Amino acid sequence: MSELEITAGAGHAGLMEESPYGIPSGKLAMWCFVISDAVTFSAVLFAYGYLRIGSPDWSTPFQFSPTILNGIVMTFILLSSSLTMLAAVEAAKGRRKSACFGWLCATTLLGALFAVLHLREWGRMIDEGWRLFQNPTGGSVHFGAAFFSVTGLHLLHVIGGVCALSVIALGYRRDRYNPIDVEITGIYWHFVDLVWMFVFPLLYLMNAS
Amino acid sequence: MSDQESAHGPGMSFFVAVWVALMCIVGIEVFLTYRHMPPRQLLLWLLILAFIEAGIAVSYFMHLKYERSALAWSLIPAVVFVVFMLDHVWPDAFRLASLRLLSQ
Repeated sequence: MSELEITAGAGHAGLMEESPYGIPSGKLAMWCFVISDAVTFSAVLFAYGYLRIGSPDWSTPFQFSPTILNGIVMTFILLSSSLTMLAAVEAAKGRRKSACFGWLCATTLLGALFAVLHLREWGRMIDEGWRLFQNPTGGSVHFGAAFFSVTGLHLLHVIGGVCALSVIALGYRRDRYNPIDVEITGIYWHFVDLVWMFVFPLLYLMNAS
Repeated sequence: MSDQESAHGPGMSFFVAVWVALMCIVGIEVFLTYRHMPPRQLLLWLLILAFIEAGIAVSYFMHLKYERSALAWSLIPAVVFVVFMLDHVWPDAFRLASLRLLSQ
């Protein structure tokens, strides 16, 4: 037999080696994406820090009520959604399909609630006169750009995560996806929560009046 | 330890405890914010607490602690390196601030 025939006969198994990390390729791909996204958020947060330090007239407009309080509630919601995501992964590993679906729905709803609260806060700030390059308090005009850019990028990730969770939840219930797919989605969702653990103190608490 | 055992991880009760710990850290962050400390000191404390939260989330929520160490050693140093490289913008930021103060 020729080398070509041997290779073709072995199929994919003849070409694959054991993963050096002992995880499926999809999980490794998600980790690589998480790392690249972490670097992106790091760059954006460093840019925010650069703008803040470079602007002697930086504003600190956030009152405890409603802004910081809203931020605390949003943090609670996002952390709780990570907990429900963990419950979904545990249920998926235990082959409890309806429990997994329920927990995924809970995670999706909490993520959607976070997005709604965030958009409501944006609406309130826009009503007060905040824009990308407009500061109603008379301070640095970069505050709006920094705030809306960083929180907007995070909000985009939340909305994307909510969409992905919906697809995974419905697909898992219909046996299109398996538990590892739920776990991979969980890694992304926990990353979204992890980013908020930096965004909330740096953009909200550091700008508390 | 086999791959199956290392990837199993703890149960939900442990994760609930971790969740409570994370909420406590958030509470500490809010408390420190209203302690009226200098901004640099507040920033330092918030960053320390944020990194602790991130470490807990990555290790337990994202199960990195229960994967092969090769995965952590491949991923984390890359992020640390990039953050270290980004951490060189501050002299220019302070220079910009002093230029803006001079122009006022």
